[in-house]
Amino acid sequence: MTARPEHLPERLARISDMQAAEFISLGLLAGREDVPSIALNKVAEPLEGDDERGRLHPVRELIEEALREFRGMRPTAADAWLAPRLHATLRLSRREAADAGLWSYLALGVAPDYVVWRHRPEPKADEAPKGVARKRFLGPHHTQAFARLWWAAELFRDGSDYGPAVRACGNQDMLNTTLRLDVIDHRPTAQALVRLMDRKIVQSGREVNALVAAVNASAATLMYDVIAPDVEYDSEALRDWIAAAETARAVSRHVLPEGPEEQPAPEGAVESLAAHFEGLFADVSVRGRAPDERG
Amino acid sequence: MRAYPYPRLPGAVTTRVTAVRLRGPDDIREDLDIKGFSAVERVVALGRAERDDWHTARLSLSATIPARDIEAKGHWSDVAVVAVLTEKATNARSVTRLDRAAGDGKEWSGEIEVHRTGYADRASLAVHVVATVGGVAGRIIASTEQDWLIDVTADVPLRDRELDVTDVSFARGAAWLRPFRDTPWIVDISGRIPTVRLNSDFEGLMTLVEGQGSKIENMVREMLLAQMSTDVWTAVFHSAIGDLEIEDDGSPVLPPDWRGEVLREMLPDVVPGCSVEDALREVHTRRTGEGRWAELQPRIHFAATRRAEVPRTLTDTIRRIERLEQETHA
Repeated sequence: MTARPEHLPERLARISDMQAAEFISLGLLAGREDVPSIALNKVAEPLEGDDERGRLHPVRELIEEALREFRGMRPTAADAWLAPRLHATLRLSRREAADAGLWSYLALGVAPDYVVWRHRPEPKADEAPKGVARKRFLGPHHTQAFARLWWAAELFRDGSDYGPAVRACGNQDMLNTTLRLDVIDHRPTAQALVRLMDRKIVQSGREVNALVAAVNASAATLMYDVIAPDVEYDSEALRDWIAAAETARAVSRHVLPEGPEEQPAPEGAVESLAAHFEGLFADVSVRGRAPDERG
Repeated sequence: MRAYPYPRLPGAVTTRVTAVRLRGPDDIREDLDIKGFSAVERVVALGRAERDDWHTARLSLSATIPARDIEAKGHWSDVAVVAVLTEKATNARSVTRLDRAAGDGKEWSGEIEVHRTGYADRASLAVHVVATVGGVAGRIIASTEQDWLIDVTADVPLRDRELDVTDVSFARGAAWLRPFRDTPWIVDISGRIPTVRLNSDFEGLMTLVEGQGSKIENMVREMLLAQMSTDVWTAVFHSAIGDLEIEDDGSPVLPPDWRGEVLREMLPDVVPGCSVEDALREVHTRRTGEGRWAELQPRIHFAATRRAEVPRTLTDTIRRIERLEQETHA
């Protein structure tokens, strides 16, 4: 099994797509090989400065914690635990999180063992065992092993409350289907989707997928931002939270961390969308198929 | 054309950025120089700001909508005009309502804020007209056809990105460059935007590319740049097509970053006469084994040379050679 990197430098780094690709061998994807960590760190570019946020070891420790905590369980269960904690440990702005090179480095240089453990497909009875998909190491934000967790925490948190993000990550369909869609970039929409899960209006993967498809199709003609407006965003809370990283304690294993103190999505907006989505979902359930744009 | 299950507003919606004010720590303010935004290109270049420590940029916008049609047709009520700023790379989305200016309701204006921490590269700004139609609130009844681009790093407001050329020693530079030490240049598409890496070990190349040399050297340089530019367009096209996200139903998705921009621009030349989405599907099908991938190559080449302005540069060069020859014979 792919092991912890032999060489772990002090600081996190970024690695370009082209260089990252060279380290993604078939042996690594099969979980048979390690990443040659000294060679990797020779080509990776360490993050500048000496701030706390750029330190590698807190991130590695957090991931080891997840490996200990969830060993022997289904690896998917770790997502809901790790997503908010990774988010609160890294304290990135979205501008920083848009850098794919950082995520590739986390996957190859910090925790390839985690990527292999979490994303190795479950072996099927009469099939040869499959390897980890390449896109878990190097790929878009909704498939890369760590980027998807960070973005899930970012897009589903409600201000400083990671609770909704934990619940969204608890359902693989919610996590996998919504992350790639633009509709959840509107905070009240993301919160309303989680509420429908909380209220058990949608539960199975099939239901979640049908709901999300209906919500997405309806967004083509209906502007949720107008019928359920969000508050005006203020980036000061985020800047303060990032600055506070210098003195913040490591995230707790048991207690959920707190995100930047942004205002939560307005209650009225979330509820009115939740009611609207419930109606859309009822239509789909009745018809037993995905709705067209009339939805 | 997509069909809508409700009446839409005919006529054009247009918008323009009229002023940009940056704010930084301690409430410092700076108005962006008017050279920092262009109504012709529809681009705002925030990198032009004199101070580098700004936190937010407030864009003043005005929009024009076909108000007479709204009154004449009478399908719509509760008309609102909103500006929407989005960026794929950061999943950013912010929405502001514009206010109706005095007069006949054609002109609307307002402000939208760009938070620096929330954008990585280029955000796009659109304006939509939203109304209640047939009892349903929030219907989008019209939108701007052409978005504005808000570039958070560029210092010149240009829609087309300039070719980024940097020089590096292939023999002593990054490990992946070493096998190419005898090559004059390599196209590197692994970064935020594609770059041409010039091999500084290649004797005379730097002087040729940078130099204010003789007439002949200038001609050769322009041909070289056109050639590099062709290489970039071709490489980007292939890398974008080779790494497409595929939907569950098998249809390919336009990439969210510059790869998508490049495909949008080249596909109409590669598969003419259909929508970008259909062209993308066609190219993807051909590449993944449904044959005729080879036959597509001339079209890709055509699209790349056209964008790199190879025909124009070559014609210029030929004329200049003729002139030079006449001068020497005279």
